Amino acid sequence: MELSASALEHLSLAGDATHIPDKSFGKLVLCACQGVLLEEHRDVVADNPAFKDLDKAVLKSGYSGLVTLLLEAAKHDSTEQTISTILEECKYTPERVKELNKIFTIQKPHLQLLIGKIGSSFPHIVDIDWRLDYYMKNNHMEKVNSAVYLISLKTEVAGETELKEVQFSCSLEQLQDLVGKLKDATKCLEKISQV
Amino acid sequence: MLLAFEDSHKEHLSFLVDLDPEVLKEFGKISMNFIRKGTNPKVFQGAAQKLGVPVETVQHGVEGLMFLLTESCKYMLSEIDFQDSVMTLGFSEETRAALLDLYTEHQREVRDILQEMSMDLPHYRDLEWRFDMQLASRSLRHQMSPSILLRLVTEDEGERTSTMLETDPVNLVHMTRVLETALQEMKSGYCRRIVRNIK
Repeated sequence: MELSASALEHLSLAGDATHIPDKSFGKLVLCACQGVLLEEHRDVVADNPAFKDLDKAVLKSGYSGLVTLLLEAAKHDSTEQTISTILEECKYTPERVKELNKIFTIQKPHLQLLIGKIGSSFPHIVDIDWRLDYYMKNNHMEKVNSAVYLISLKTEVAGETELKEVQFSCSLEQLQDLVGKLKDATKCLEKISQV
Repeated sequence: MLLAFEDSHKEHLSFLVDLDPEVLKEFGKISMNFIRKGTNPKVFQGAAQKLGVPVETVQHGVEGLMFLLTESCKYMLSEIDFQDSVMTLGFSEETRAALLDLYTEHQREVRDILQEMSMDLPHYRDLEWRFDMQLASRSLRHQMSPSILLRLVTEDEGERTSTMLETDPVNLVHMTRVLETALQEMKSGYCRRIVRNIK
């Protein structure tokens, strides 16, 4: 994990006891975590009474430094050791290093879950609906008499709140083919999971 | 069941009743060609000149025969029903046999042509799958998330479309189970009874 010079500078500010007193530090780290995790907490740091005596510019820099550190550490799945080394370089006291690591270890899985969701993917199938019809006749033909399945795949598409649908029909034989292929895939998956 | 002929249809077919079986077979060939590829009026003129009858009579004869074939195929007439239907029009035994040959020989093909004309839904063609493990992304390294990529090929009116989809193991198993239930449903007593009774 590498941080830019400006990020390190901001991080040092957050660790400086003359700017941010010990009693506010833990709250600031927690605020940074929640600011990342919850959209509605994004600007909470500005109005938080715990920080009302602090210099706004310093608070802003420190906050951004901490957010950068937390995100990078989550991204690289950094160990406490790595984080401690960086913090020590930024002249953090052992107590502050310990406090930050304690909060980060708890929040790390949540942070990783969130940033793991960022990225592109194909429409993700989450459910499937089916309906069975018996196709009897049409305007050109009598006695068609065959089973028809209407299949609807429910998919999640990145950036969309509602589920999308992929619809198609298939005959009994075609559905057997489809299920056969899906079973193959499932079997392959089971084999891999046993290795 | 027997075909019910409308008066105009009977009148158009009446021209064929007196034809020689060989000529009738020729008319049958022309009708089948027209069913396959659409009509070609030039053929009527040639035939009309040879037989020495008005072009219109020939045209009505061929069209009547085409309609007879498509209607019989539409209702999937049995051989006996077809013969009985034709008998009401006054065809001799020989010409009836020629017509029956024409019908039995081309029944499948005409059904296929009718099927092509019928309304169709986008239907399943093929499915390809592959199994991937996502290891890292720009925003998160050290990942281990299995994913199944699927390419679904569907066909609508002869045009193939492929859709890329993705799913995870849990949903794949779920999906397979749901579709298996769907397949089983067709074997249920209820469905089998319905299928047996719809003839």
